Amino acid sequence: MSRDVIMVRPLLWPRLLRGAVLAVASVVLLAYVLAPVFWLVSSSVQTEREIVSIPPHWIPDEPTLQNFKAIFLTGLGYAQPTPTGVDPTSGGFIPSVAGNLLPAMGNSFIVSIAVVVLNLLVGVPAAYAIAKIRFRGRNMALYVILATRVIPDIALVVPFFLVVRKLGMLDSLGSLIITYLAVTVPFSVFVLASFFEQMPDDLDRAARVDGCSRLQVLLRVFLPLARPALVAVGLFAFLASWNEFLLALMFTQTAASQTLPIIVAGITSDFTVSFSFLNAAGVLAVVPPVLLAVIFERYIVSGLTAGAVKG
Amino acid sequence: MAPHSGEARLRGVTYDERAAAGLLAALAVVLMAVTAFPILYSLWISFYGLNLRRPNRVPFVGLDNYAHVLANPQFWDSVGRTAYFSAITVVAVLVLATLIAVLLDQDFPGRRILSACLLIPWAIPSVANGLMWKWIYDSNYGALNGLLMQVGFISSATIWLGDSAKTLPLIANAFIWKEVPLAAILLLVTLKAIPADLYSAARVDGATAFKRFCHVTLPAMRPGFLLVALYEAMMAVRHFDLFFLLTEGGPGGASDVVAWRIYVETFRNLSFGTGAAMSYILAIATLLMSYGLIRSLAQKL
Repeated sequence: MSRDVIMVRPLLWPRLLRGAVLAVASVVLLAYVLAPVFWLVSSSVQTEREIVSIPPHWIPDEPTLQNFKAIFLTGLGYAQPTPTGVDPTSGGFIPSVAGNLLPAMGNSFIVSIAVVVLNLLVGVPAAYAIAKIRFRGRNMALYVILATRVIPDIALVVPFFLVVRKLGMLDSLGSLIITYLAVTVPFSVFVLASFFEQMPDDLDRAARVDGCSRLQVLLRVFLPLARPALVAVGLFAFLASWNEFLLALMFTQTAASQTLPIIVAGITSDFTVSFSFLNAAGVLAVVPPVLLAVIFERYIVSGLTAGAVKG
Repeated sequence: MAPHSGEARLRGVTYDERAAAGLLAALAVVLMAVTAFPILYSLWISFYGLNLRRPNRVPFVGLDNYAHVLANPQFWDSVGRTAYFSAITVVAVLVLATLIAVLLDQDFPGRRILSACLLIPWAIPSVANGLMWKWIYDSNYGALNGLLMQVGFISSATIWLGDSAKTLPLIANAFIWKEVPLAAILLLVTLKAIPADLYSAARVDGATAFKRFCHVTLPAMRPGFLLVALYEAMMAVRHFDLFFLLTEGGPGGASDVVAWRIYVETFRNLSFGTGAAMSYILAIATLLMSYGLIRSLAQKL
């Protein structure tokens, strides 16, 4: 930004050219990012007849919320799925999986919130210790945490599955909450540690001189100042848990523990489900994380860059 | 730098060290339970002939699982596909993210809206991403065919994911769409960190904007490029979700990558021993790859 200030005010036509290039580039970028999502949303509000038209109707002629209505009514028990044997194209068809979407959303919420809480409980004290206390083995601790980020999640699936099965925890939300810590906690510690590191050491020293224990320094001095980092870390843990697919695919078997991605994935390979219903299920999975990301954009961007620079 | 370290050496464990141990205890327990233990356990499994079809006979087979995996030509085919998929991804993400970062580095009205929208692909669950692109690629009613036919690029509906030559690039495209935003954000940070002096010096020397970009901006962004390349390579090598959702390794094995192969070996063939060996090979390969990239990053700095 400051670079432009140094620049001598350029002539008119290069400024116009620059404006035109920027405008075109912005439009291209917006189209690249938004067009697929727009098509997803547009498809979700089309009728069965309209969605199979060639060429596709980019903007539906007769938009309808029937898919979302079906999802919410069956999910809350006010409507029943259409019995088998009825022609899906007859209109008002409700696939049998429709009722599973809302409970799965509930499961996703429970798992994600639990993972967020555990991440903060585990990550905040550890990050403070790594950032502000010089102890023997500090570098080792950093390398260990860094190394865990390199392990592919698919390499953890085999041992996790066997342990979870042995403990009788297959098909439970608990197994998801615990195993999701493996994919979230190291990153949370990195983001928080890099945030704590930016805070002045004097703050730490002054409180220690005043007779605070380390825990008191953390709780009374650092925690109140760390709110942006806590928000960012909470969001990352929430989004990672909400979006996680691989582990949930292995550990969940029934609607009792299946999270939203699992139900949605099941719908994509279900040939009785209409294309528009499929897209409505996709929209349902997309709305919460996208809303969070757009609302908390600043926190996320600063957290991502902090975590990446360290990690 | 470390006011307590001298004291620590003299008197054994200091208060600070005890405090640090207490604050790190929960993390240590969690990392032991969900990373260290599984990694060691899967090493152990990889030495046994564990197959859940015959759960009562689990013979010790030593390195046979590894030998079996490494001697299988199909495994090497899938390694090749993973390498191809990762190479497309890393190159495309680097190019697109650089262009986006350069755009977002400019000051213009609407820049903030643009960067907020950029987070949308990043936030979308990979399952929804898979569903979305599967529908776009649909050979009957998909948007890709619809669009290309409307603009007259193709005259009749084309098969996309079902064509083995196109499968991997198409899956990579869906993956790239989701990965580019994070990469652009990271590159934007490196871009903003370039000292303005470098640009004014180049300008005084009479360098054109294009020359300044090639000789000042690009070299200064090297650490960012390596960070992004490292991260994206790691993500691409392990990626599973889109392969499951879009093609299930098909058509005819055209998208049978290593991650998919591990899944099939373990959860469809129920051969946990060879599955563990394969995932160990993948983990070690990832580790070596990151080590190599970090080494080259450290050298270039």
